[in-house]
Amino acid sequence: MKGKRVGSTLPKRDANVIFNRRAALLSFAGAGVMGAILFRLGQLQATNLISREYTAAADENRFDTRIVAPPRGIIYDRFGTILAQTSKDYQVAVIQDDVDDLEEVVGRVGQILGLNAEWARRAVLRVRGSSRYEAQPLQEGLTWEQFNAINVRLPELRGIVAQSADVRAYPYDIVYGHPIGYVQKPTQRDLDAAMADPEQGQSRSVYLRNPHVRVGKAGLEASMEDVLHGEAGWRKVIVNARGVEQGEDETERRDPIRGSGVVLTLDHDLQRIAMQNFGEQSGSAVVMDIYSGDLLVMASAPGFDPNLFVNGISQANFDGYNLDEKKPLYHKTVTGVYAPGSTFKMIVGIAAKQAGVEDNWAVGCSGGFFYGGRTFHCWRAGGHGRMNLHDAIKHSCDVYFYQAALRAGPERIAAVARQFGLGEHFDINVPNIRDGLIPDPVWWRANRNEGWTGGLTVNYGIGQGAMGVTPLQLAVMAARLGNNGLAVVPRLVRETRATASVDPPRPPHIAGVEAEYLARVRDGMYGVCNEPGGTAMRAGALELVRHPETGAAVPLTAENRSWQPVQIAGKTGTAQVRALGSNRGRHFSTIEWRFRDNALFCCFGPWHEPRYACAVIVEHGGAGSSVAGPIAKEIMRATLLRDPSRREPARLAQLEEQLGRSV
Amino acid sequence: MTIALNQGSNTLFDRFAKLNWGIITILCAIAFVGVLMHFSVSSGAWTDMPLTHAVRFAAMMSVIILGAMLLDARFWLAIAYPLYGAALLLLVGVELFGATRMGAQRWLDIGPLSLQPSELMKVAIVLALARYYHQLDARKTGTVLWIVPAFLMIAAPVALVMHQPDLGTALMILFAGVSIMFLGGLLWRVIAAGAIVAVGGAIFAYTSILHEYQRDRVNVFLGITDDPLGAGYHVLQSKIAIGSAGLFGRGYLQGTQSQLDFLPEKHTDFIFTMIVEEFGLVGGFLVLALFGALMALTMQVALRARSLFGKLAAAGIAATLACYVFINTAMVIGLVPVVGIPLPIISYGGTAMFTLLAGYAIVLSIDLHRDQHGARGWLW
Repeated sequence: MKGKRVGSTLPKRDANVIFNRRAALLSFAGAGVMGAILFRLGQLQATNLISREYTAAADENRFDTRIVAPPRGIIYDRFGTILAQTSKDYQVAVIQDDVDDLEEVVGRVGQILGLNAEWARRAVLRVRGSSRYEAQPLQEGLTWEQFNAINVRLPELRGIVAQSADVRAYPYDIVYGHPIGYVQKPTQRDLDAAMADPEQGQSRSVYLRNPHVRVGKAGLEASMEDVLHGEAGWRKVIVNARGVEQGEDETERRDPIRGSGVVLTLDHDLQRIAMQNFGEQSGSAVVMDIYSGDLLVMASAPGFDPNLFVNGISQANFDGYNLDEKKPLYHKTVTGVYAPGSTFKMIVGIAAKQAGVEDNWAVGCSGGFFYGGRTFHCWRAGGHGRMNLHDAIKHSCDVYFYQAALRAGPERIAAVARQFGLGEHFDINVPNIRDGLIPDPVWWRANRNEGWTGGLTVNYGIGQGAMGVTPLQLAVMAARLGNNGLAVVPRLVRETRATASVDPPRPPHIAGVEAEYLARVRDGMYGVCNEPGGTAMRAGALELVRHPETGAAVPLTAENRSWQPVQIAGKTGTAQVRALGSNRGRHFSTIEWRFRDNALFCCFGPWHEPRYACAVIVEHGGAGSSVAGPIAKEIMRATLLRDPSRREPARLAQLEEQLGRSV
Repeated sequence: MTIALNQGSNTLFDRFAKLNWGIITILCAIAFVGVLMHFSVSSGAWTDMPLTHAVRFAAMMSVIILGAMLLDARFWLAIAYPLYGAALLLLVGVELFGATRMGAQRWLDIGPLSLQPSELMKVAIVLALARYYHQLDARKTGTVLWIVPAFLMIAAPVALVMHQPDLGTALMILFAGVSIMFLGGLLWRVIAAGAIVAVGGAIFAYTSILHEYQRDRVNVFLGITDDPLGAGYHVLQSKIAIGSAGLFGRGYLQGTQSQLDFLPEKHTDFIFTMIVEEFGLVGGFLVLALFGALMALTMQVALRARSLFGKLAAAGIAATLACYVFINTAMVIGLVPVVGIPLPIISYGGTAMFTLLAGYAIVLSIDLHRDQHGARGWLW
């Protein structure tokens, strides 16, 4: 239609109609969106109903299993004296989330404790990498005064907390540094080692990451870690998003179990006396029961303080130990290997008897013995004159034993030496035990690529040359001589929870060693300490007598002179550490310490009814008679007076019961 | 007949009685849910939080009821353009002198007052566009020429708010404005053309104009790239809380995700999650039902209003409310990316509550004075 248009050319529209229509459309759209949201809410619930994934995620969020470190087992001496225990350690720690300026606040803590800026810098670095919401230790091992100084100023130190924690403590510090060792924080190597175990690795490494856990790093603490560490407990705690504990599900709690206590064979009184008697000297002393093998003394001097290691030793302290030429960190009792020197002569004597050397076979000593184109000197330049076995031991005549060794032969001597424990491995539950060396012609050919010579045999006779023994082995030798040839084996641990304390059965006799051979040698050792001209008359002068009724050893007084004296039998030794003859003719004090001779002494007693054997080695001490003998005398005298083997030892069950009551 | 009745009884008391009590009741119910949840946010203690929320709501509610009774549609029509103009000026002021808080320049400090002009704009855009279409001949709404002013009225504040940057608010202003244009009678072919231009422009901007880092932000926003430590973590924890809630929830004050702080922003943007965690699917449905009812009643006000201005203004407020509620709840259940939009009247904070209640002052006023269409001098 071509009609003309009136008014606007636009089509007619009613705004209200449009609005109503479109409002309805918009409302439908809104209802659709609402439906989608409701559907999605339902869908999330339905998903969870089937898979429980959101419930599991919520539980994983709020529950955290926290390991509770078990208290470590306590180490006792044979009579129940505590040698290693768990005690309170005072620490200052920081909760980083509460701190505005970490450097500033740590610096102020350093000032209060009297520590320098370098300490503060290291502490900040260490703390930065760890959880912001849990207390991280800044300094451990605070004194009570330092702890109080921090406590008083806590209000102005926001984020700093003063806390106490369990820590391993060694009340007699240097006395047991070597046998007991120490614990430290687990290192990455411990974690790696734990992870190598496919079954227990995961849980063990979680345990090791607990900030309160320590592991044994030396001595018994290391070798008996499995016995001492106990069983970790756990707590199922409810945490918030920052990991801060909000509560605990007590039904899921398991308390930790304290590690097993360990009762040692050591006698604290004797061990302490032994350590004291070394003074500034370097060396080792061992006392053992010749029937049970119980080690009553296991001293290694100089000692070190294991407490310094527990919280991480300072570089200065460590250098002080590590650079000392007397090697305080070195467990000389089982790790130190020394030429036995003249203490070896009993072995040569027994081997000679075995080889058929008669009692009246005598050798003329003129101060030297010419063999194989050279002269082997006796320690006494003027010679001893005619010597039989008894006198040769008493005077320690070298010439007699040069020739006795040639008659016995190196194979026989080596066999007897091993039967008496030299070169033998004794596992006494401490790490790094060395076995020493008793060479024989077979070993020599295999390791030195040359034939054994008669000259070596001659030297063998006085305990010199390639051979080496540990103080522990020397004590075993003395014990096997003292008990008339029983193959006693030393032990350091008397009792743990797993192993009840039973005295070991009487050891078997050493094969092929007649009582008569031993009697000759033992008589010679008696002479050394008790007959005029014996090399250890001073060490033998114990000044003890035997009580006629009780049989106990008592000090000699004016009134009891008529009682039977208590005596010991022993042997001195002076072993060269430098090539033969290079020290000859020089005065002792002019020789550099590390080139001086090692002094040795081994003995057993009491002579009338032997029970204890003792070995002492003083590194670079000079003559055995003048240095090692007197130390052995003091230790033996104390041992005989105390007579620990006849006292009732402590029982672990009772000790742990007392501990349980006191906790 | 109706006119006569109204003229006969127009005392203040009568007006009070004739208020839309359905809307008021639902607003109060929603606010009560808010107080309940803030008590739970405070771990069951009467801290400042639930108290402040209750007092703030009561005060604002009183003011809007009074405002609704005293002011009629003519007033809102009168201030529509001036209010819009003022809001736009303030937005420019923010751009020039605004305070930056939490990474965005949104606040304008005037003495002790701290103002977010973008919130004012949410109401102002509704009024201004309602007035524009109210006065525009219905036949002109179809022509391109008369679209331009409406388009500019929306584009100016959206651009300014985007630049702050506050994407959530910009989207809300855009959505409210476009809703009114749609209700005002925009032709379908224009709508279709606009949609094509918008999508095309966005794709062109994304591929050609944006810098690499800007594109990264868009990717994270669209969920193309994961952001597990930022918004991704929030949504994950929110989904865990909602998914593990069950039909009736873990119980009031017992929500582990919210009480142990795994749920972030539980008192503001993620409060709906906390409601579902503690009161379950049923609780979530009930709260959504309250909002749904409020939207329905608001649309009823719009349909009942005699003037186009009243219709458009009320519907615009309903659209704004829907925008708040849908974006917020869709966001906490992971349907849309996280943009900082609270659940109005329940989330803690006065800004969103003020914006929405100011809108409801207009809605209640329009409903109360709906029969005043006779005052042609103003409204016709």
